[in-house]
Amino acid sequence: MLDTLTQVETPEGVTLPLRPAGVVPRAAAWFIDALIRLCLLGMTSAIMNLLGAAGAGIALLEMFLVYWFYMVLFEGLNQGRTPGKLALGLRVINDNGLPVTWIPSLTRNLLRTVDMFPVLYGFGLASMLLDSRFRRLGDRVAATLVVHERVPLRGRFPQDLEPQRPPVLLSTAEQIALLNFAERSGYLTPARQMELADVLEPLSGLTGPKAVKRLLGYAGFIVGRG
Amino acid sequence: MKQGTFIARHEREWERLEAWLDPKAPRKKGADTGGSRKPLRTEEFPHAYRRLCQQLALARTRAYSPQLVDRLQALVEAGHRRFYRTRRPEWRKVRQFVARDFPSLVRREWRHMLTSALLLYGPMLVMVLLTRQKPQLIYSIYPPEMVSEYQSMYDPSQHTQMIGRASTSDLGAFGFYVMHNVSIGFQTMAGGLFAGIGSLFALFTNGLMIGSVAGYLTALGYGGTFWTFVSSHSAWELSAIVISGGAGLKLGWALLAPGRASRGSALIAAGRDAALLALGAFLMLVVAAFIEAYWSSIVWMPAAMKYGTGAVMWIVVLTWLGAGGRHATR
Repeated sequence: MLDTLTQVETPEGVTLPLRPAGVVPRAAAWFIDALIRLCLLGMTSAIMNLLGAAGAGIALLEMFLVYWFYMVLFEGLNQGRTPGKLALGLRVINDNGLPVTWIPSLTRNLLRTVDMFPVLYGFGLASMLLDSRFRRLGDRVAATLVVHERVPLRGRFPQDLEPQRPPVLLSTAEQIALLNFAERSGYLTPARQMELADVLEPLSGLTGPKAVKRLLGYAGFIVGRG
Repeated sequence: MKQGTFIARHEREWERLEAWLDPKAPRKKGADTGGSRKPLRTEEFPHAYRRLCQQLALARTRAYSPQLVDRLQALVEAGHRRFYRTRRPEWRKVRQFVARDFPSLVRREWRHMLTSALLLYGPMLVMVLLTRQKPQLIYSIYPPEMVSEYQSMYDPSQHTQMIGRASTSDLGAFGFYVMHNVSIGFQTMAGGLFAGIGSLFALFTNGLMIGSVAGYLTALGYGGTFWTFVSSHSAWELSAIVISGGAGLKLGWALLAPGRASRGSALIAAGRDAALLALGAFLMLVVAAFIEAYWSSIVWMPAAMKYGTGAVMWIVVLTWLGAGGRHATR
């Protein structure tokens, strides 16, 4: 498959689809996090400057914490989402599909140093491009993935339809295709609906608006309306 | 069973679960008509979640509409995240880590620790001896400005209040030591991913640098200020650097010689241990930074007291690492 979708089976016996995130959204998320960190340090260092040498010490401590633990704390406390990842709809997970735990999060963020080597995440980029799941070196060692959050399907099943039994017995895939058509019809233009429905002329024996109505009727029968 | 019947039969369960998983989400109007929808209780969640998983599997095999499958899938994913969510750190775990798990891990990885110690202390010792004989050797390691800075930092005639640093505030120095030393520790560990070379290099150069400064200042006759300054925190700091280096070497070794595991899984196992070791080293370096900033810099203290503290600290660190968790009952 050309898709990067990977499936993970849970202990309950259902599969979770994981959609690993590529370089661009992750770089964007990192950039947002970097800006937030800069603002954070900028604001507090202004205050710390007023406190003299002791303030400088606190500012250094803060810099240390922000540099090494910003990502770890957010990933651990916010179910794998730093503010940047949240904005981009990304999430860090363990590669078995479970939410990221503390030690893997620590591992992947300590090894960030290696991914940043030699400049501008050079090693991380190479590692991500060579991997089907876009893992940087830290992700590989920590066994973590950065994935896209799911986007719910749009549209809903049309209400006003006349259920009708299809003339032949349809296979599972064919039934799903009809259901998909019915659910998406809400945001397809009438012209596009007709174009698609005309393809099934051998089944329905109709074309144009009537064919659309007939196909929706079949879908209504399949889900058990009427 | 037709999809309509299936939804009608289970809709209420799904709504309860949805409401429990995301209480802030806007509810559909009329979804809770009749007031019969009791909120899900926490202890009911595992059962409800397992039922949901079964319903999703049914919906898939029965070829129900993609929308319905997607809705159940979303619900399962949210439930899965909740069911197996990241735990909050527990204090008991932290205590256990410090008292038992970390020292045991260090002992278990004694081969890497020993290699790391040799790589740090070997060059250090050689440099101390060499620069004592030939102080000008230090210029092959440090640029002249740095040498004169070190010289002024430990000049006994110049320092009446502080030794070992320019900063006048203890807190300022503490912040600097934490930032600087822990970053070195973490980088020493992470560098191990380059087949161990990064850690090797970091240990070796740190050994050279520390050794040459020590030898040079001793040759200059500033040994008194230098050794009294470093002795108190040396146990924590040097041991932590050795442990960071050992963690890095373990990482590199897993890459070079994964043994009977695949290279990938060997690296994952080593990565976990390396992160734990780095975490322990981080705590040790914070202790070291605290001593260095608040104790080592005190001038009036007699040298014997400083050396005494240093000796006690070495005993504490070695006993802790050597015996911590040895008799723990599992």
